[in-house]
Formats: sequence, C-alpha cells, structure tokens
Amino acid sequence: MFNIKISLFANTKKLENKIDSFHDKVIDAAMTFNKAIRIFLAEHRSDEFKKINKQIKQIEHDADMLRRSIESNLYSNNLIPDLRADVLELVENIDKVINRFDEVSYKFYIERPEIPEIYHNRIIELVNQVTECAENMSIASRSFFRDFSLVRDYSQKVYFLEHESDISFGHLKEAIFDSDIPLANKLQLSNLIEEIADVADLAEDCVDELLIFTIKRDI
Amino acid sequence: MEILFFIFLSSGLFLGWSLGANDAANIFGTAVGSKMLKFKTAATIASIFIIIGAVYSGAGASKTLESLGSVNALAGAFMVALSAAISVYWMVRSGISVSTSQAIVGAIVGWNIYSNRPTDIETLNIIASSWVICPILSAVIAFFSYFIVRKLLRHSHIHLLREDCYVRSGLIIIAAFGAYALGANNIANVMGVFVASSPFHDINFHGLTLSSTQILFLIGSISICVGVFTYSQKTIHTIGNNLMYMTPAIAWIVVFSQSVVLFLFASSSLQTFLISHNLPSLPLVPVSSSQAVIGAIMGVGIAKGGRNISWGIIGRIIIGWITTPIIAAGICFISLFFLENVFNQTVYLP
Repeated sequence: MFNIKISLFANTKKLENKIDSFHDKVIDAAMTFNKAIRIFLAEHRSDEFKKINKQIKQIEHDADMLRRSIESNLYSNNLIPDLRADVLELVENIDKVINRFDEVSYKFYIERPEIPEIYHNRIIELVNQVTECAENMSIASRSFFRDFSLVRDYSQKVYFLEHESDISFGHLKEAIFDSDIPLANKLQLSNLIEEIADVADLAEDCVDELLIFTIKRDI
Repeated sequence: MEILFFIFLSSGLFLGWSLGANDAANIFGTAVGSKMLKFKTAATIASIFIIIGAVYSGAGASKTLESLGSVNALAGAFMVALSAAISVYWMVRSGISVSTSQAIVGAIVGWNIYSNRPTDIETLNIIASSWVICPILSAVIAFFSYFIVRKLLRHSHIHLLREDCYVRSGLIIIAAFGAYALGANNIANVMGVFVASSPFHDINFHGLTLSSTQILFLIGSISICVGVFTYSQKTIHTIGNNLMYMTPAIAWIVVFSQSVVLFLFASSSLQTFLISHNLPSLPLVPVSSSQAVIGAIMGVGIAKGGRNISWGIIGRIIIGWITTPIIAAGICFISLFFLENVFNQTVYLP
C-alpha cells in the first residue's frame, strides 16, 4: 500500500552514478575532440583520425543511452518531482554539446578540408577554448547536483571562454577571407570553424538555464 | 438513550468531518501537492496518527474547554457543536481564515450566557491569547528552522537525488507527527463539549484501558479521518494551486513549525516536564492549524527577505479572531432558545 520502497535509496545511488557518468562523457567527448582535431591537422585523414572519430561516436552513443536511462529512471521512480523537468532539460542541453562534438568531428572526416598551416595554431587555440568551455559547463552542471554554490563560479568561466572563443573565431574568419585560397575553400573552412565555435555557444545556453535552475533549487 | 446520544453527537461528528476535510490538508497538503507523497499514503499515515493523538493526548486541551464551560446536557452540547460548525462554514464561505477552536469557544460562551453561568474570564483570556501566540510562535519557529535547514542543505553537499529521498522521508515523519499533534490538539473542538454528557463506560481490552472520554475521542477522530479520506484531496488541490509555490524543503519547514506549535498547545506531559524544569510552558488549548500554517509561511517569507508577506491575510486572521467567536456565540444563543422552547429539549441542567 505505501509507496515507500526500501530500494528507493539503492535506486537513487544507481541514478547518481549514471548522472556522474553522463557528465564524464562530456569531458571525454571534449578531450577526444581536441585530440582528434590536432591529429587531423597533423596527419589529415589518417587511420589514427579514423579511430579517434569512431571513439567520439561511441562516446556520443553511450551518452545517449545514459540520457535515456536517466530520463526514464527519474519518471519511473517519481524522483525530484519539483525539479524533474529542469533536470531533464539540463541533460538534453548537455547532450546537444556532446552531439555537436561528434557532428564536427565527422564533418572533418567526410569533407577532408584543406587547411593551410598558417591557420593551424589559431584553430588549435579555438578548439582549446571551446573544449575547455564544455568541460567547465560539465563541472557547473555536476555542481548543480552536489554543491550548487559552485555553479556560479564555473558558469562565469564558461561565459569568459565563450567570449574568448567568439573573438578567436572572428579573427580566424577574417584571416581566412583575407587570404588567397579559393573561395570554395574559404567557405568550407569558415563553415567548419563556425561549427566548432558553436559548441561554446551551446555550452553558454546550457549554463544560462542552469543558473535559473539553481535559483529554483535553493530553498 | 444510546441512539439519542448518537443523534445529538452527529453535530460533533460533522464538525470532525469538516476538520478532517480542511485542517488535515495543512499537514500533508504541500507534500501531496508537490507530488512528493501520494494522497493515499499521506491520508493513511495522517488518519492513524490523528486517532493515536486524539485518544492518547486529547484530554489536556479538552479540559481547558471544560473549565470554560462544562456543557452538561446532551441537546445543549449538540447545539454548541452545530453552532460552531455553522459559523465555520459561514466564515469559510466569506474567505476568512477561520478556526474551529475559535468557533467552539464562542459557542460555549453563548451556552454559558444562555444558561446564566459565569464564563471563566481567566480561562477565556488564556484561550484568546493562545490564538495570537499560535501564528506568531509558528512564524518564529519557521523563521529559525529556515536558516538551519538552508545551512544544512548548502553545506552538506548531498546529491540532489539523495536530498530528495531525505526530504521525502522527512515529510512522511513530519506528516505523522503533525497528524498526532492535530488529533491531540483539535479533538477537543470536536468532542470536548460532549465529554460531560458522555454515556460510555471505561472498557478494558487485553490490558488496554479506554476511558469513556477516550472512547468519545476515538469516535470523533474517526469522523476526522472520514473527512481526510472523503474531502481533503479537494482542499489539497486548492492549497497546492492557490496559496504559494513551496519547495519540498520549505513544505517540510512549514509543516514542522505548525506541528510543533500544535504539539506545544496539546501535550500535557510536555507541559508537566517544562513546569518541573522551571521553563515557560504554554496552556493546553485547541488552536487553529490553518493559522499556524499561515504563521509558518509568513516566518519563511520574512526569513527570505520579506517576500510572500500578504498583509491582507494577516488582516483576515485578525478579523477571524474577533468575528468567529462572536458569530458562534450569537448563533448558539439563538439556536438554544429555539431548541429549548420550540423542540422542548433540555439544553442545560441546573
């Protein structure tokens, strides 16, 4: 008769682990993506790049599985009824960031863009900013579950890095269109770096909502 | 005699039903409204503990009402309870925060006036001051509890899901405690006036002795439980949708503060303990759980920086303090006149 299950605490522990693993996936995806772009710039479409591209796909797939499991567990165990919708939205937003890492990496694999060496350092700088931005978003989100006083600190880092990535993206795009490479290459490169920079925008959107959820989470 | 007794008792049972329908929602309304507890779970826990509270600890507050006016004729008791029920119904319809306690006290005073008996002014003063103390004390407890709970939640670094489990368990425990306190404190409103004319005898069941008053309280508390199961769900939805948004942790604070206040005004063993240790104690008086809840919400509102304070609600409480007993006394006086002269019933014994 009573809906008080002894196993409630055990189920909660399992779900806590899943949420932690889901956040780990963001960091995995960000670091693997960073490594993938460096390999692509160094070796172009090598076997190593092929392998790492597959790795990102696997991370994205695992994250999707975890997301579905988290969502269904929250509903089936009737957990955090007041914040459930917020947590689901948060998980969806984080998943978009992981998906974007996979999409961009796959685009590099399919399109095989010719990138002049003079842009390599700037692309690496942009990728560093974007991946760091995603990592900080993940830490901010993790803090929301355990120590929400830290959410603001990590969110601030996300905002800073997003702004930096915007500047890097602008300079890089300017440099590409000022160069003598064919227009088709310019457009292709511009499009690719725009997609890389988009990851930081997605992380920023996620953190914007996270800060609102944090206000609701405080009593 | 027995059948007649139950007919006359019906007004008390009706009062019990309305108490269950309205006041029980104060205990678990927020928990059910925020979907932290299922209605059936909450109602079952509440019912069990209302009965335990009423039968085990209901006597203290009831004695205070008796000292205000011992209604010694069954028909008189019937009319006192009915007048209180009518006043409550009337005031609720007018949107005024009303307490069964205020109505029953007014009705007893009405009976005293009709039967030419002196009203113990000292007891009346104690009762009236307890109505003012009740929401204020509840606000003070909620104010301090808010800071303690907030500090605990902020610094314990518990995972959100685990915190949810703890708050859920806390709500179940506090709903049980709140129901116990409600039963102990408010059974006097429902059955207090019938104590003097109770026809029951003490019974002994496997070593468990129930006095005639306790049997009366058992019947009254069952009527409260019927109110809980049949109508409180509707009240809960009203509270959940209209009153204010509360996080489960704040819901816990509100119910905790209200329950502590009801318990302080109901527990004779706690009173004895406080007096024996030279600590300030509170009189055993039936108080309003609704006003305790409103006080607690105000306390949390002040703790959060003055938000959620509606002076309109405070105004309506004060109107309730004054008008409810006066209306109940007036209705009781007039109805006793009709009952005695038109229906030839004995409404008081000389």
